[in-house]
Amino acid sequence: MRILRSLTDGIGFDLILIGAAMAFLMAMAGLPLVYNVLMSFQEVDMFSLGSLIRPWAGFDNYRSVVAQPEFWLVMKNTALFVVGSIAGQFTLGFALALFFHQNFPGSATIRGLFLVSWVMPGLVVGAIWSFILAGDYGVLNALLQGVGLISEPVFWKSDPNLSLYAVIIANIWLGLAFNMLLLSVGLAAIPRDIYEAAELDGATAWQRFRTITLPMMRSTIGAVLSLGLIGTLQQFDLFPAITEGGPANTSNVSQYWAWQMSFKLYDFARGATISVMMLVLVLFAAVIYVRSTRGEVRG
Amino acid sequence: MKKLFLAMTASVIALSAQAEPVKLTIWGLDGDNGLIPTMAKEFDDANEDIVVEFRAVAFDDLVNETLKAVATGNPPDMISLDNPDFAMFSSRGAMLDITERVAASTVIKADSYYPGPWNSVMWDGKVYGVPKATNTIALFYNKDLFAKAGIANPPQTWDELLEDARKLNDPANKVYGLTWSARANEEGTFQFLPWIQMSGGGYQAVNGPGAVKALDLWKTLVTEKLGSQDVLSQGQWDSTGTFNAGNAAMAISGPWELGRMSTDAKFDWGVTLLPTETAGGARSSAMGDFNWGIFAATEHPDESFRMLEYFVSQADRLFPEFSNIPARSDIALPSTGDARKDAALAVFQEQLKYAQPRGPHPEWAKISKAIYDAMQQALTGQATSQEALDQAQATIDGILKG
Amino acid sequence: MNMVKRPWVWFGFAVFFAAIYLFPLYWMYVTAVKTQSEIFVSPPTFWPNDPDFGVYSYVWTDRNMAPYLWNSVVIASGVTALTVFFGTGCAYVLARYRNAWVDVGLFTILMLQVLPASVMVTPLFVAFNQLGLLNWPRSAVILGAAAKAMPFFVVLTRAAFMSVPRELEEAALVDGNSRLGAFTSIVLPLVRNGVLVCAILTFMSAFGEFIYSKSIIQDPGLQPASVGLQGFLGPNSKDWNAIMAYSAIYVTPILAIFVLLQRRIVSGLTSGALK
Repeated sequence: MRILRSLTDGIGFDLILIGAAMAFLMAMAGLPLVYNVLMSFQEVDMFSLGSLIRPWAGFDNYRSVVAQPEFWLVMKNTALFVVGSIAGQFTLGFALALFFHQNFPGSATIRGLFLVSWVMPGLVVGAIWSFILAGDYGVLNALLQGVGLISEPVFWKSDPNLSLYAVIIANIWLGLAFNMLLLSVGLAAIPRDIYEAAELDGATAWQRFRTITLPMMRSTIGAVLSLGLIGTLQQFDLFPAITEGGPANTSNVSQYWAWQMSFKLYDFARGATISVMMLVLVLFAAVIYVRSTRGEVRG
Repeated sequence: MKKLFLAMTASVIALSAQAEPVKLTIWGLDGDNGLIPTMAKEFDDANEDIVVEFRAVAFDDLVNETLKAVATGNPPDMISLDNPDFAMFSSRGAMLDITERVAASTVIKADSYYPGPWNSVMWDGKVYGVPKATNTIALFYNKDLFAKAGIANPPQTWDELLEDARKLNDPANKVYGLTWSARANEEGTFQFLPWIQMSGGGYQAVNGPGAVKALDLWKTLVTEKLGSQDVLSQGQWDSTGTFNAGNAAMAISGPWELGRMSTDAKFDWGVTLLPTETAGGARSSAMGDFNWGIFAATEHPDESFRMLEYFVSQADRLFPEFSNIPARSDIALPSTGDARKDAALAVFQEQLKYAQPRGPHPEWAKISKAIYDAMQQALTGQATSQEALDQAQATIDGILKG
Repeated sequence: MNMVKRPWVWFGFAVFFAAIYLFPLYWMYVTAVKTQSEIFVSPPTFWPNDPDFGVYSYVWTDRNMAPYLWNSVVIASGVTALTVFFGTGCAYVLARYRNAWVDVGLFTILMLQVLPASVMVTPLFVAFNQLGLLNWPRSAVILGAAAKAMPFFVVLTRAAFMSVPRELEEAALVDGNSRLGAFTSIVLPLVRNGVLVCAILTFMSAFGEFIYSKSIIQDPGLQPASVGLQGFLGPNSKDWNAIMAYSAIYVTPILAIFVLLQRRIVSGLTSGALK
């Protein structure tokens, strides 16, 4: 009876709500995670994908992944891709959110248009950017040459020094909607009277931004950065469409490499191993997020 | 009495078994009105005792879907797989050994097939499938630009190719000498392997002097800007698109381009065999397209083989109805009513005689990666052609030994 | 609401930024009506020489888009329903307390996002196969995709719950409401907008669900439009016009809804009901 009461009226109520969600997540996302972690310690034959019991390999898969000639290049690219994409998405997203936060005629409608990248199929986004970034028939070069910024075509996709940035540009475009939307929400939640008070005290725009906006948006920024990091680490539609990780792996990143290993070379154990190694990075994102929620004020 | 009863029961069971039609499933990538669904439906309609179900799987997913189906124990009865992927399944006993059935068949004649495609269905001396269709690559050239540059005939050797590319290259009018694909995927290998083979190498031996010379030639084409640097990232379809648009004077690609080229290209064009290393030297080319195979796990091998025989018996419809080139030398292609296309097809049929399969090897995907990685390293200047190909050779040796 | 000075200058800048940002969208519409070779012409043409608008009706009728779009709607609705059902309560609890367990909960939810869908689909396929769920492929996809959408939903909805003053709930409890009663009659109505908006966002991203669908749904009659799009990619050819036209048909209506709803989206997320 007491247990029953607690279910509708006490801590049990909370436990049911969170327990149901967690059980569901564990089954649908936790089991696949376990499967992949397990696979990274096993010898996997492509015809044994259906079973969990396979010969134990210890850390052999990890050693062989690290021993691949492209390993360090891919790790460096991954770091650059993540930092570049997030820095771009976040700063542009924040700038746009601040811009549209000024109430001017049409601001709401035009901001709505920026959400287009949210709904575009990945395959199409990749294809469009592949056309735009092409060296000869690409419209980006045509525009840059038109305004005189470059005289020779730039081979965004095929120059080993630029190919990664080609994908980063496309990824910034893709993630901008998400960043701007969440940051707009965070901005809208800051009470206007705080700004007005600060303005009366003679604070400059920059001071107001630093002392009011940033601290008040701490948890929003934490959420945006950590979800952005996770999203960026899962982004791989753009790679097959734009560069295939080439030329010579100069634009290959770990999530695409893992996918190539598993689904192009059919080396499922090493593919899983690379995915599990990325766990460390997401761990980092999760810590950022959890810490950012510390300073939250409720209501 | 008892025997009679048993015999009667058996015949009753046989009768009822006949009443319940056998269900065959077949996977492939042909769309709604493509070859497989069309012919599978015809076979279904013609046979009271058989029902055929078709599932279309996209090209990129075909192998992975099949692996998953085999691993979980429910593969389809039949499939059409891209030829370099076939050995992965045949070498592991996933495909039904049809050596004897083929030998006994009056429909399937091994010797009527081109050697390349037939080679790709073989593993360890046994037959595991039948080529569905075939294709290859050759050199397309823009006759108008050739005339303008004063070149009478298309290039026949590598040196002539380079020389002509230099003459045809016209940056002021945004025309490259040549376009092709050196993309970091199977397409890159598909395009480069024939050059290795023409110089006497093969996928087992990629670092011979001829292969190095070929890669150096590609490098020259890129560094002298006789071809777009984007050959490193564009596939054959997009690359040939630039040829059709008039931005390249020559293109290396296959017969799948003919339809689009006939409608889009606003110039006179022709096709010639891939240039050889030296005049009159060894010819080679890539070999594409799919193979039919029956899964070893099928419960209906007889019915599946009947379906396979039906598909093979319809080979003369492959080209007129589905624009696929039969993998057989005994089927003449009917005229398309377009003289340029007919001439091109004749060249492709000639080129097919020299087409060689990729592999067959169960780990083809890894061998292929070693080749396109080397090619890209050399073309981006990260290694010399020799160094890059030596490294590829070491990787391939490891795979072949393992 | 303070209005900025010289609003039309701001408006001008906004249009300029939007024009830059929407250029890829424009390129999609334009590429659809170019010929296969004009797509690759150098220098590129900003407006097609000979636009062929027939491609739109071709992909709509010949590719039988309607059932694919319907399946996308079914899958996206299912994912949204399931995510809202499990996610709302979870977000509420995670917003209600501030202790180490909440940290663990948030941390776990994010960690379960670690793997890309492409590597999660194989174990799910195997499990669904064992459970016989592959016979209801759309439901199977909904289950998998809802788990993928949930962390995002929980993080956003939790922010909405954070804006509900705790005193309101406590007052309701003092008035003799049960926890369940306080949750459903006091807290939920206050965050209704926020939940609704998160649901819309979940719906929109689930509308493009691709990786689970292409692997789990084998019957073309049940596949969503994102999978149907693959039909234009052959081994050697890529029907770019059709791909672009198909995705234009698929993106435009949902984008229109987005633009119309977006004012509510932002205010809803900040729980405008309270302010």
